[in-house]
Amino acid sequence: MRRKALRSLVYWLLLAPLIVVILFPFAVMFITAIKPPDEVLSPNWWPTHPRLWNFVEMWSATDFGNAILNSLYVSVLATLLALLVSIPAAYALSRYRFAARGAFRQFLLVSQMLSPIILVLGLFRLVVSLHLIDNVNSVVFVYAAFNIAFSVWMLQSYFSTIPLDLEEAAWMEGASPLTTLLRVFLPLATPAMVVTAIFTFINAWNEFVIALTMLRRQESYTLPIQIFSLVAGRYTVEWHYVMGAALVATIPVAVVFAWLQRYLVRGLTIGAVK
Amino acid sequence: MGWMPNWRLTSLVGAGLLAMTAAAAAGTVRVTIAEYSKGTGPYFDQAAKDFEAKNPGIKIQIEVVPWDNLQQKLTTDISAGANADLSIIGTRWLLDYVQQGVVTPLDQYLTPELKGRFISTFLTPSVLNGKTYGLPIAASARALYYNKDIFQKAGLSEPPATWAEFKADAEKIKASGGGAYGFGLQGKEIETDVYFYYAFWSYGGDIIKDGKSGLDSPAGIEAAKLYKSFIDGGLTQPGVTSYAREDVQNLFKQGKVATVITAPFLSNQIKAEAPNLHYGVAAIPAGPDGTRGTYGVTDSVVLFENSKNKDEAFKFLDFLFTTEARTKFDKVEGFLPVNQEEAANPYFADNADLKVFASLLPKARFAPVIPGWEEIADATSSAIQKIYLGQSEVEPALKEAAAKANDVLTKK
Amino acid sequence: MSRRATPYILILPGFLLAAFIILWPLKEIVQIATHDVNRFGMLRGFSGLANFDALFGDADFIATIGRTAVWTLGVVIGTLVCSLPVALILNQDFHGRSLARVIIMLPWAISLTMTAIVWRWALNGESGMLNSGLMKLGLLGTNIQWLAAASTAFPMQIAIGILVSIPFTVTIFLGGLSSVPDELYDAAAIEGAGALARFRYITLALVKPFINIAFVLNAIYVFNSFPIIWVMTQGGPANSTDIMVTYLYKLAFRWGKLGEAAAVSLLMFALLLAFTLIYVHLAMREREAKA
Repeated sequence: MRRKALRSLVYWLLLAPLIVVILFPFAVMFITAIKPPDEVLSPNWWPTHPRLWNFVEMWSATDFGNAILNSLYVSVLATLLALLVSIPAAYALSRYRFAARGAFRQFLLVSQMLSPIILVLGLFRLVVSLHLIDNVNSVVFVYAAFNIAFSVWMLQSYFSTIPLDLEEAAWMEGASPLTTLLRVFLPLATPAMVVTAIFTFINAWNEFVIALTMLRRQESYTLPIQIFSLVAGRYTVEWHYVMGAALVATIPVAVVFAWLQRYLVRGLTIGAVK
Repeated sequence: MGWMPNWRLTSLVGAGLLAMTAAAAAGTVRVTIAEYSKGTGPYFDQAAKDFEAKNPGIKIQIEVVPWDNLQQKLTTDISAGANADLSIIGTRWLLDYVQQGVVTPLDQYLTPELKGRFISTFLTPSVLNGKTYGLPIAASARALYYNKDIFQKAGLSEPPATWAEFKADAEKIKASGGGAYGFGLQGKEIETDVYFYYAFWSYGGDIIKDGKSGLDSPAGIEAAKLYKSFIDGGLTQPGVTSYAREDVQNLFKQGKVATVITAPFLSNQIKAEAPNLHYGVAAIPAGPDGTRGTYGVTDSVVLFENSKNKDEAFKFLDFLFTTEARTKFDKVEGFLPVNQEEAANPYFADNADLKVFASLLPKARFAPVIPGWEEIADATSSAIQKIYLGQSEVEPALKEAAAKANDVLTKK
Repeated sequence: MSRRATPYILILPGFLLAAFIILWPLKEIVQIATHDVNRFGMLRGFSGLANFDALFGDADFIATIGRTAVWTLGVVIGTLVCSLPVALILNQDFHGRSLARVIIMLPWAISLTMTAIVWRWALNGESGMLNSGLMKLGLLGTNIQWLAAASTAFPMQIAIGILVSIPFTVTIFLGGLSSVPDELYDAAAIEGAGALARFRYITLALVKPFINIAFVLNAIYVFNSFPIIWVMTQGGPANSTDIMVTYLYKLAFRWGKLGEAAAVSLLMFALLLAFTLIYVHLAMREREAKA
C-alpha cells in the first residue's frame, strides 16, 4: 500500500505542470463567470462579491436548455450512427484480405483532408438540393460521416490485436458468425469502441461551422452556436455570461468521459483467452 | 445486420420536404439578422410578432446570425440560392451585391412619403446608379470620448481641438502619473484602417482621389508619422497591435486610457459597466488647417432578387421604418436616429452625447463605394500595423499599400 | 452470401457515408478553382490555372506555406512528445487516477473556438489574467503584450495548439495501451528484460499503430485547424501569423475571391494527400491479424 501511495505522489507531481496549464483557462472562466458585470473587465483573481446568480441569467440569455437538448440529440445520434457504420467496416479491414483494402483505408483518410471552411460551401449546396436545410438530422449525418475515418482506423487497429482463436473457438462450439461478433468479439474491443464513442461525441458536441451553416432558426441551434453568438461581433460582450455558458457546456462532456474512461483498462484481451 | 436506419431516413426526408413546402406556401418572409447586442434578437422577434398581428396572413421568420459570420453565411446561402428574402448587410459590401445582381432596387416600392422619412445623409450610401438598393437599418458616426477625471488630474479642462493640442495633452497626462495613457489607439482587426483615417482626413487626405489611392500622399505620411510618434513617445497603450476596438473601449472603461474614438453605443456600455466614469464626447481633433473628418457607417437591409415574397417583405420593411419601431431599435442599440421624426424625439435631441455625433454628420465620410473595398481596407490595415510595430518605415509601407489598392482599383 | 463479397458489403455503408461528404464538395471545389467565379461562387468562365497563378504571385500567400509547416510540425510533434509520457502514467494504477484522467481530458471538452476566446481574453496585455497572475507570482515585471506581434503570438498559438491536442492523443494512446496485456510484461521480466527494454520492445512496439494514427490524424487536423489562430490574431498583425487556412478564409469571405480560395483548398488537399501517402507507405506496413 505504501508503494502505491508513493507512486501516486510521484505521478501527480509529474503531471502537475500540465494540470496547472490545463486548469488555468477553467479558472479564468469560472472566476469571470461569477464576477458582477462592472468587474468583469478587471484582471483580479477573485471577484469582490461572487455572483452565482450569473449562471441563472446566462441560462435564459442563451436559451441554454433548448440548445443543450439539440446538442445532446445531435451528438448521441451521430455517435451511434458512426459506430454502427464503422464496426462492420473495421471488422472487414482487420479480418479479411481483399483488393480494395488499402484504397479504402486511404480513402477514409482523404475524407478528413478537405478544409471544413471550404467544404462547407460544397456541402451546403448538396444539402440544399436534398431539401434538408434547417433539419437537425442533416447535421447528424454530416458529423457521423466526418468521424468514420477515425472510428474505422481506431477500431481496426484494436481489432487486429484480438486473436482469431477466440472466434474460431466460438465457431467450433456452433455459434453463428453474428453471435460470435456480438458476444465474443465486441466486448473485447470495448476500449476501442469507448475511444471512438468519446471522440465522435466530443467532436459533435463542440462543432460549430457546419451547424451554423445548416441550421436556420434559433430553436434548432446547438450549444456552440448559442455560446459563440454571445461573443462574435456584438458591440457589447457580456463576458460573465460567455464564460459561464462555456463552462456549463463542458459538464456533459466531462460526465460522458468520466463514465466511459473506466473502460480504458489494460489486459482485457489476452485475459479473455483464459 | 443491414442498413437499418434506411426507412428512418426516408421518412425524415419526407417529413422535411413536407415541412418545407408547407412553410413556403404560407408566404413566409425570411429575414437574416446580424446581432449587434443581446437586444437585437428579441427586438426583431417582437417586431415580427407586432407586424404579424397587424398583417395576418404574412409570416415572418427571423434568422439570427452572429455579425462575424454574416459574410460567410450570406456567401454560402447565396451560392446555393438558399438565401433569405431580406438581410442586413454592411453597406460597404453593397456595390458587390449590386454588381452581381443579387439584390433588387427598391424604388418601385419607395413612395415619396416613405423616402421622406429619412435623414438624407443616411440614405445616400445605399443609392447606386440612381437606384436605391437598401434602407439604413443602423447608422453610426465616430467621435472622441475622453475621461474627464484623468484630464482634470493633468490640469486640462477642455478636450483637444487639434492633433497638436492632443499630443500636448497626452504628454501632460503622461507626466501627471496615475498610469493612464493619453491615446487609446486601435491596432487590430476590423476598422484599424479607419482609426488611421481620422488623422488622415484631418490632414486633408482622400482615400481615393481621381481613381487612385491617396494613402501615400503627404497627408497619409503625416498622419502615420503622427500616430507612430504617439506610440514611440509612450502616449498610447503598449502593444497597440493587440488591441481591437472592443479592447480599447474596455481600456477606456477601466480608466487605463484617457481617450478613445468610437461610436455612440459606448455611452450605453459606460452606463452599464462603469457608471462612475466621468466622460465627455467631443469632435475628433482637427488638422493644422481646421479640417476634421469623422467616419459614418450604415448597415442596410436589402431585398434579394430571387425572393418570392417581395411585396410582403417590403411591407415588413415599411413597418420597421415607422417612427415607433425605429425609435425602439435605436434606443436598444445606441445607434443614431435615421428618421427625421425620430431625431426630433427628446430622447435623442436632448442627449448631450448624441448631439455631438449629430453635429459631426454633415462632414461625415463613408467608406468609398468601390468594388473590392474590403481588400483595400485590409492592405491599408496591414501597412499601418507594420508601421505601428516598427517593422516598416512609414513611406515604404504606405507606398506598398497604395500600390496594392491601385491594383484592386484597376482590376475591377 | 459469398465469402468474397462479405468485406465489400461490410465496408459499403461506411464508404457511402464518407463519400457523401467528400466527393460532391471536392467536385465543386475543383470546378470553382478552375473557373472565374464571382464572390458568390457562381461560375463565369473556365480559367484553367489562372487562380493558381494569382496565388503563387502573392507574397503573403507564399509566406503562409512555410508558416503552416512550422505550425503543423510544432503542434504535432509537441503533442506526441507530451502525450506519450502522460498516457504511460495514466495507464498505471495509482490513487486518483480517474480524476487525473478527467482533468487531462478537460481541454477537449471545450470547443476549440471557445478555448481560443478564453485564451485571447486571458492574454490581454493590460487586463489579462495571465499577466496579472504572473506578476503576482513575481515572475513578471511589466506586462507582456502577448498578441501584439508574431514573435510572441505565434509560439503562444502553437503552445495552445499542443494543449488542446493532448487529450485526444492521450486517449488514443490509452486505448492502445489497453491492448497490451500484463502477462507480456511479466513474462519479459522473468526472462530478465529491464524496464527500458520492456518499454522498447513491448509497449512501444504494440502501441506503434496507435502512435501512427495519432500522428497522421493530428497532422491532418492541425494543418486544417482554423479557430486558434483566427480567434487570437485573425492571422495578423499584417498577415504575420497567417497559415494557409486563415488566408483561405480571408480570400473566400472577406475579399470575395472564391476562385483563389478554392485553389488554396486544393493545394492544401494535395499537400496532405502526398504526406499521408508517403507516411502510410513508409511507416505503416500492414500487420497481419495476430493468431
